[in-house]
Amino acid sequence: MTEADTHHDHDDHHGHIQLEYEPCLPLRNGKVCLWLFLSTEIMFFAGLIGTYIVLRFGAPAGTWPTPHDVHVKEYIGAFNTFVLICSSVSIVLALEAAKANKVGLAKLWMVLTFVLGMLFLGVKAVEYNSKFEHGIYPAQPHSQIYDRADVYYVAAIRTRLMNLKSEDIPEDQTGRVDELLSLVRWTELEVARTNDEGPILALAYNIYPIHRYEDYAKKQIERRAQLVTKSLQRVSDDQQALDKKTGQLTAAEKQSLDLINLERTNLERCGKTLVQMKGGGKGLNDKEHWLKLPIYIPSGNMWASTYFLLTGFHAIHVVIGLIAFALLLPLKLGPAKAGLVENIGLYWHFVDLVWIFLFPLLYLF
Amino acid sequence: MTDQVETTTDSHHDVDHDDHSHGGTSLYLMVFGALCVLTALSFLVGNSSLMTSNVKIGWALMMAISCGKALLVIMFFMHLLWESNWKWVITIPASMMSVFLVLMLVPDVGRRTRNYSEERWEHTAKPQQYDESIGSGTHGSGEADEKSDDSHDKPHHD
Repeated sequence: MTEADTHHDHDDHHGHIQLEYEPCLPLRNGKVCLWLFLSTEIMFFAGLIGTYIVLRFGAPAGTWPTPHDVHVKEYIGAFNTFVLICSSVSIVLALEAAKANKVGLAKLWMVLTFVLGMLFLGVKAVEYNSKFEHGIYPAQPHSQIYDRADVYYVAAIRTRLMNLKSEDIPEDQTGRVDELLSLVRWTELEVARTNDEGPILALAYNIYPIHRYEDYAKKQIERRAQLVTKSLQRVSDDQQALDKKTGQLTAAEKQSLDLINLERTNLERCGKTLVQMKGGGKGLNDKEHWLKLPIYIPSGNMWASTYFLLTGFHAIHVVIGLIAFALLLPLKLGPAKAGLVENIGLYWHFVDLVWIFLFPLLYLF
Repeated sequence: MTDQVETTTDSHHDVDHDDHSHGGTSLYLMVFGALCVLTALSFLVGNSSLMTSNVKIGWALMMAISCGKALLVIMFFMHLLWESNWKWVITIPASMMSVFLVLMLVPDVGRRTRNYSEERWEHTAKPQQYDESIGSGTHGSGEADEKSDDSHDKPHHD
C-alpha cells in the first residue's frame, strides 16, 4: 500500500525524482576493483608457480638441482620472508593509524614499509649477483649451463679455452689455459677409448662441484690421476727405450719420439693441473674467476629460467608497490585517505602472499 | 565520490564503521608472531631428514605450513575474516582456478619424460644413479689390468 503511494508521489514530482542508490556490494568501489585485480593476479602467479611445481616435480628423481648446487642460500630466503612479513605488519598498522586519524604515525609506518621493501629488493639484488657470478643466467647467450656432461659439453669447454688463448691474457693465465687444454684433450681421448662419461663428470666436477654426484666424481678424479700417472710412466719408458737406442733413429722412430714428447708434455701438464685441483671444495670457476668455463648442472637451464621468472616477476610487483608507497607518502594519511591506504595495503599483502609460497618452493625443496 | 557511500547509506554498511572493533594492534602483532613461528617451522622441516627419507610427507607438511601462513595473511591482514559473503565470490573461483591450472599441466608437463624417445634422452639430464661402476670399458685397448665392467648404465626411464 505504502509503496503504491510512494510511486504515486514520484509520478507527481517529475522535477526531482528521488533515486535510491543501492550498491550491490557492501564496500567501496575502489576496494571491489582492487579485489578483482587481486584475483587476476592470483591466477597470474598460479600459472607461474604451477608451472614451476609441475616442472620441478615432473623432473626424474635426481635431475633437479638442489638449492646448494645453484648457490641458493636458505637463510637469505628466510630473512627476506621475515622482512616481507614485517612490512605486511607495518602497512596494516599504518592503516589502523590512518583510520584513527593519527597522521604522523601512519606516515611513519608507511615509511617503514617502504624501507623494508627496499631492503627486500637489495637482498634480492645480492642474490642475483651471486648467481651471475657463478655463471647462472636465465638465458643464452650468457648462460653457460649444460644439462648433460657429454662430448658437446667438453667441446664447449675446449671452445672457451681456445677463445681465452686468442684473447690478450697475462702470461701465467696462458700457461694455465694450456694445462687445462691438455686435461680436456686427455678427457676426450679417454671418453673415446672407454665410451664412458666418467672422465667428463670428473672434469665437470672440477669446474663446478655439485653435491649430487660428488662421491662418484671424486672416485673418477682419483682414477683419472692414477691413469695419467700410469700413462706418463709408460710414455717415459718408451722415451727412455728410444733414447737408449744406439745409432741413428729411423724416420718413423723420430716421428714416434716427437709424438712421445708431445704426449709427455701434455700428460705432465695434466698431472700438474690435477695436483692443483686436488684441494676440492671450490671449483675452477670459483678459484679463477677469469676462466668462466661452461658448467654442468642437470636441469640447470630449466631451473634458472623458472627461478629468474618467478623471482623477477615478484620483484617487479614489489617495485610497483614501492612506487605506490612513494606516491602516497606526501599525502595526509588521515581517515579520508584510509581507503587508499587500505587498497595499497591489500596489494602489498598479496605481494607478501606470493613470496610466502615462493620461499619454500624455491629455497627449501 | 565513492568514498562517501558509507556515510549516506549508513544502515546497510556497517563494515567500515565497525573496523575499530576488528583487528587492533595486539591482534596483528600476535599474527606476526604466528607467522614468524611458521616461517621458522618451514625452515626446520626444509632442512630436516623428512625431505630426504619421507619426501612426500615433507612436501605435504611444507605446503600445509605455507597454506597456514597464507591463510593468516589473508584472514587477518587482508581483513577477510570480518568481511561479508562477497569474499567467497573472490576467493573460491580464484582457488579453483589455481588448483585447476596446476592440475591441467600435469599430464603434458609433469609426465613429459614418460614419452621421451631414445634420442631425446641423449640430450636430457639423465636420471642416472652415480654408482660404483667406474672403469667400464667396452672398447678398452689400454691398460690390461683393468676389468671391463658390463654394468654400463643405459638411461632407465619409467
